Amino acid sequence: MTLIPRSLFGRLLASATLFIMIALVVAGLSIGRVLERFVLRGLDERLDSQIVLLARAVHPDGTIDRPLIIDMPPFDQPGRKWAWQVKTPAETLRSASLQGAAMPEPVLRRTERRRSHAIIASRPADGIAKSGEAMHFRIAQIDTSAGPVTIMAAGPREVAERPLRQAAVPLLASLGILGVFLIGAIFLQLRFGLRPLQRIEQSLAAVRRGEARHVPSGQPVELKPLVDEVNALIDQNEAGLENARRHVANLAHGLKTPLAALAVKLDEDGGRDSEMRALIDRIDASIRHHLGRARAAAPGGPARQATLLAPHIADLTTTLARIHAGRTLSIAQDVDPALAVACDPQDLEEMLGNLLDNAWRWAKAAIRITAIRSGSLVEIAIADDGPGLSTEAMAEAVVAGRRLDERGAGHGFGLSITRELAELYGGTLLLGPSPSGGLLATLALPRPEAHA
Amino acid sequence: MRVLLVEDDATLSDAIARALRAEHFAVDIADNGEDGGHFGSTELYDAVVLDLGLPKRDGVSVLREWRAEGRTMPVLILTARDGWSEKVEGFKAGADDYLTKPFRVEELVMRLRALVRRATGHAAPRIACGPVVFDTQTGAFELHGLPLKLTAFEWRVLSCLALRAGLVVERRELLERVYEGDADVDSNSLEVIIGRLRRKIGHAMIETVRGRGYQLTASAA
Repeated sequence: MTLIPRSLFGRLLASATLFIMIALVVAGLSIGRVLERFVLRGLDERLDSQIVLLARAVHPDGTIDRPLIIDMPPFDQPGRKWAWQVKTPAETLRSASLQGAAMPEPVLRRTERRRSHAIIASRPADGIAKSGEAMHFRIAQIDTSAGPVTIMAAGPREVAERPLRQAAVPLLASLGILGVFLIGAIFLQLRFGLRPLQRIEQSLAAVRRGEARHVPSGQPVELKPLVDEVNALIDQNEAGLENARRHVANLAHGLKTPLAALAVKLDEDGGRDSEMRALIDRIDASIRHHLGRARAAAPGGPARQATLLAPHIADLTTTLARIHAGRTLSIAQDVDPALAVACDPQDLEEMLGNLLDNAWRWAKAAIRITAIRSGSLVEIAIADDGPGLSTEAMAEAVVAGRRLDERGAGHGFGLSITRELAELYGGTLLLGPSPSGGLLATLALPRPEAHA
Repeated sequence: MRVLLVEDDATLSDAIARALRAEHFAVDIADNGEDGGHFGSTELYDAVVLDLGLPKRDGVSVLREWRAEGRTMPVLILTARDGWSEKVEGFKAGADDYLTKPFRVEELVMRLRALVRRATGHAAPRIACGPVVFDTQTGAFELHGLPLKLTAFEWRVLSCLALRAGLVVERRELLERVYEGDADVDSNSLEVIIGRLRRKIGHAMIETVRGRGYQLTASAA
């Protein structure tokens, strides 16, 4: 149903408003009825006392004791809308107010059958005066030996309705004000009551952005189990990745240590068997390639967290400066410290490490690292002033498992795994000539804002 | 030059040790993290080759502990872990170099020599002291421009003195840097080696500083 609001806030507010409205209408109606009865009872009592007075004049034989007929005010005043009439089988007596005219016939109300504690049971009825005004009747019947004697007394409904109308305005107004206050109170209560949900939403977003590891656990009792579950899920995800990575590390250790022993033995036995050497290099390359992929967190992993570029580039340049300690290169870096990519930090280091390592191996004197925003991506460009690559070699370099230089010092191996990782993240790796004649590797990775 | 090799794979550590000894290095081997950590904390080494995936204790934690204790010997991490994050972590823990398995023995030796040279404060690969020139890249010595043939012990003593040319190297330190941990050291053997060296490069080159140790000096040449 499209009428049901999609937010909890909307649902709660709409349903509360609906129920408040219904309750107020019901309250208004029942208060109105009570009030009506109350004012009608006053009118009834006045009419009934006149009827009792008249009934005393009716003898059991159906005759009327005239001197006992008393016209109490306002029944004695002609023109006033108060009137009575006694109808015996023999005659009809009327109040002075009627000035001899017959009383209009009332419409009997069937539903009303209330016990009255008057001596003579009288029934209410509605009618219309000759002037067209709504009248309220009371009718009593006395059985005499001559037949039934009907006593009717009538007064204007206006007498009862005027106070009713006067009461209705303040009544409705106060009910309306009550309604507005109640809805306002519920609005505030919902805002206050649902605030923890909003906070959880914000902290979850922070977790996804990589700004926090967990949703804070100090939550209202009702939400605590939910938050604990979410945190457990986050931990489980992280542990899963960590586990997988430990597994990969063990596998790498298990495969590479004997391979290393084999290589060292080969070196010992003269080490000039280039065919064996090439085989070992191939095994190594394929282990590195597949374990490199297995190690990737990649999408589908725990979170597309925001990883700042600058600190990782700084870590890697420090590391590479140590690894290639014999070479002194000038590193020009133009990376906005606030710039981040939506990528697991280890995967980012893997990609940048491979590209920077290549640059380090081949640069003559200088490496330039720049990063710019480009639409929903961040483009990290690493340029060296080395010999560069031919167009064919560039195409070859990014093909999985292909090494341009079998001696292991080439562009190539790292480039193919970097390209694969970048593509897993929805990014790209482009190779081209750098302005200084070397290789320009441009790694494009999604920006975290694009996934928020 | 004495090297500590912490590696749990016996085949590999034996092969590396053989290769290093062939290059005249003194090599101590530890096959687990605990022993390796203990050796590194208590003995004097010119360099350490440290595996990361070790039984009993991880290499990175061993390295962190050495650095926290103030041990400054150069450490080369030799591991199967080839991820860049692992390399970054290794350097942050205090490593000086990082080599991934499989590797070439020549590269390991070359890197170890470079580490030892840099650790003793030499920027250039060739160290000259009078007529004696030590090529730290190949490990070869020259005397008056001609190759100098040395035994392993002679090489260890002379390289140790050459790296600290002009400085007094204490006798106790020299002993530690020359003999392997489990070697049976005869108290006179060092004097014998020094004597042989003096005959090869000239008596005045190695000065005995009474009560302290020895010094390679160019002044007399």
